Amino acid sequence: MNIKTINLLLISFLLLLIIACDSKQSASDNRIIIGISADVQTFNSLYAFSYEESAIAEILYPGLLDFRWNDEKGELDLYPMIAKSWQWAEDSLSIRFFLRDDILWSDGKKLTASDVVFSYDVFSDPEVESRLYGTFNQLFTESDGHIDIEKTFNVISPYEFEIHIPESSVPDLVKIVVPVIPEHIFKNISRDQLANHESNFNPVSSGAFKFKKWDKNQTIILEADSSSFLFLPDQVAELVFKIVPDYTSRILQLKKGDIDLVELVKVEDMVELKSEKSLAAVNLIGREYDYIGWNNINTDEASKPNKLFGSSNVHKALSMAINRKEILNEYLLGQGELAASSVSPIFKSAFNDKVTPYEFNPDEAKKLLSHEGWKDRDKNGILEKGNEEFKFKMYYPVGNPLREYAAVVVKNNLKAVGIEVTLEKIEQGAFINNLYERKFDSWMAGFGVPIPLDLKPYWYSDPNVGFLNFSGYKSDEADAILNQLETKISYDKKNELIKRFQEIIHQDEPVTFLYWTPNIIIYNKRIKNLNITPYGVLVHCWEWTLN
Amino acid sequence: MKSDIVKTLFTRFFSSLLTIFLLVSFLFIIIRLSPGDPTDKYISAKLGSELSEKIAEKFSLTQPVTDQYFSFVENVFKGDMGVSYNYRLPVFEVIWEYFSFTLVFASISFILQIILSIWLALWIIKKRNKWLDNFVANTLLFIYSVPAFVLGVVLIYVFSVNLNLFPISGLKSLDYDYLPFFSQILDKIHHLILPLITLTAAGVALFYKYVKESIDEVIQNTFIVNLRASGVNEKTILKKHVIPNAIRPLISVAGIELGIILGGTLITEVIFSLPGMGRLAIDSILSRDYPLVIGCVFTAGAVMILANFFADIIKLKLDKRLVKGILN
Repeated sequence: MNIKTINLLLISFLLLLIIACDSKQSASDNRIIIGISADVQTFNSLYAFSYEESAIAEILYPGLLDFRWNDEKGELDLYPMIAKSWQWAEDSLSIRFFLRDDILWSDGKKLTASDVVFSYDVFSDPEVESRLYGTFNQLFTESDGHIDIEKTFNVISPYEFEIHIPESSVPDLVKIVVPVIPEHIFKNISRDQLANHESNFNPVSSGAFKFKKWDKNQTIILEADSSSFLFLPDQVAELVFKIVPDYTSRILQLKKGDIDLVELVKVEDMVELKSEKSLAAVNLIGREYDYIGWNNINTDEASKPNKLFGSSNVHKALSMAINRKEILNEYLLGQGELAASSVSPIFKSAFNDKVTPYEFNPDEAKKLLSHEGWKDRDKNGILEKGNEEFKFKMYYPVGNPLREYAAVVVKNNLKAVGIEVTLEKIEQGAFINNLYERKFDSWMAGFGVPIPLDLKPYWYSDPNVGFLNFSGYKSDEADAILNQLETKISYDKKNELIKRFQEIIHQDEPVTFLYWTPNIIIYNKRIKNLNITPYGVLVHCWEWTLN
Repeated sequence: MKSDIVKTLFTRFFSSLLTIFLLVSFLFIIIRLSPGDPTDKYISAKLGSELSEKIAEKFSLTQPVTDQYFSFVENVFKGDMGVSYNYRLPVFEVIWEYFSFTLVFASISFILQIILSIWLALWIIKKRNKWLDNFVANTLLFIYSVPAFVLGVVLIYVFSVNLNLFPISGLKSLDYDYLPFFSQILDKIHHLILPLITLTAAGVALFYKYVKESIDEVIQNTFIVNLRASGVNEKTILKKHVIPNAIRPLISVAGIELGIILGGTLITEVIFSLPGMGRLAIDSILSRDYPLVIGCVFTAGAVMILANFFADIIKLKLDKRLVKGILN
């Protein structure tokens, strides 16, 4: 065979290939394809640790109640789901749930109260090591955190049961409702083997979509389950999660129409993508903020204030010296929002709009620093206090271009007021490790905001409770408020306390709050009924329809 | 001679085992000394720190590193590389699911690299055109210098986005299961063309240089002149005398190149969203899944050593005089 013949054969083969593969584009249009960056490792709700896993698990395993975001009040409203109704006892020491009697698991078995109690049992079992282990303190638990089933539950009938609550606790229904998993599938599996049991990869579910297929690191396909109690006649036939780790590739596929929805789109891409006729954008602000942490206490001796960042006046001066608006406008093209505290503006009832971010004011910053004894006595451009020069290292993790840009602005801004910053970029895992070990004096990072609002882990002074209080912030009044929020108080009182808490935080400025970062979601306009709220993008996805 | 070969093979086998053992031991120590904690992902405002402490205990992460190492070595000798922290499955069970693709993908690319480079070298030699020779050599040098992640993105942009000829990512279409058998094969090939070009291009350039130089060298030998003078057909000279003699240096390079391909698949798999071990390795490093990282390196190291081992065997088959060289 000569070279010409080989060439001819190769070209014919390629043409045949392109023609053959091009003709199959229209096989199924009744599906929505969601681009995600990482594959899941399980479909079992017990172990759904990652964002993708929990999003899919929530679709497969609905909970007792449905939570919907109330935009006016900025909080979650409760709606029936597996429970068609619920009733608190007069003494608030028990709650009775009335379940729907028409709920089927995807294998045809009925969902009953026994499944619900079993779910609580398994989720709280220390041997299972579920993602919710250690979070049931508001119920009757044993010393190892396992829910005391006998004390807590009273099953009245297959569709009616009670949860008893200890007198000392004030449970929030949003926090104690767990996804319901099938007892008949898991009851015969040894608890310590649940994590790697094959049933995790072929789940029996009760949601509007059921598992269809998983091509590892490729696609996850969920199909509409017509026997589900949540099934809607015009619901899409398939929900496909396409795993595309490369960001650029996800965006290109979105443009090309191979993917219908992508989260966390960069601001610079949003402008271009929005100009595409077929695409629309939603910017969710308020679930994440960036901040610069100042270690309030001495790293070696926690009882002493930090020699650089021990005073709230210094914190305020640092915040005033940094031009956060510039970063917001230049890098985020105005798509973010300046932050004044860790209480997000999305929590409208609890948000204190009188607390506003410190304005960029280098002169005032210099005055405050001078008042604290930081002066440039030797005229070398760096402030001193005694023998101590105001210079430090600021750490931030790699792989976040916004923080890399912001770090340079911070360095330059602080230089202008006489503070020398050395920027240290380190790997994400090492960064987090050092944060937990409280090894940094200054760092730039971000926090996600949980719904419902939870402030204690971030600001409580006891590091065992406030384990995310990396700056070592301590305020007796703030601690008292955080404790009070866990007692039986009225709705208005609760909001009043949270508003006061924001004032205290603003006054002390333990960290420099930078901005609420945007989560830009781009989707294909052929998807209708898309109700994206701060509570989530995919929640209630069974209500989505296609044009 | 036969006993020499057996001795050679045994020596190589045991030195390979030792190399792999040293490799995983070194990695075990390095990865544990590096900052980061596999249980960090279990801490959040919602979860508290109880779960992370419990998991650290379960995976013996609270023990001193030396104790962890000795128990690791003991398990390795039993053929047990441990359980992945993320997947909670035995390491090899996880790796096999992903490695099978990488092995096939890398092997196809490897074969293509050899075939295309030899074919191109022969074609250029036949043309005897200095200008074309220089043009091909410079073009291949350029291709060799372009990193895979750049080449991949350019190919996607041109052939997938602009010309819409190939899919942007993935191994198969969503409707793959509904296609007839022949179309399923075509579908996979269609998805693999751009990734294969990305992974193969640099290797073709490298092999081409070796083959071309080697052929040029062999052709200038007096025995080729003698053959030509004896009136032996040019095709026969090429097939029976030039190629077998010219291919020898290629075999040594090929053993090393297979390792480079394995490294290259890592980038290609990420760009084209392919389900291979490269992506698994990256994810396991980022999430500090120690057993899985070691498992991936062990697998890659074993393949590399095996490839070199086979390259040596092939060389031995071609030239028995090499036994002593390999022994040493």
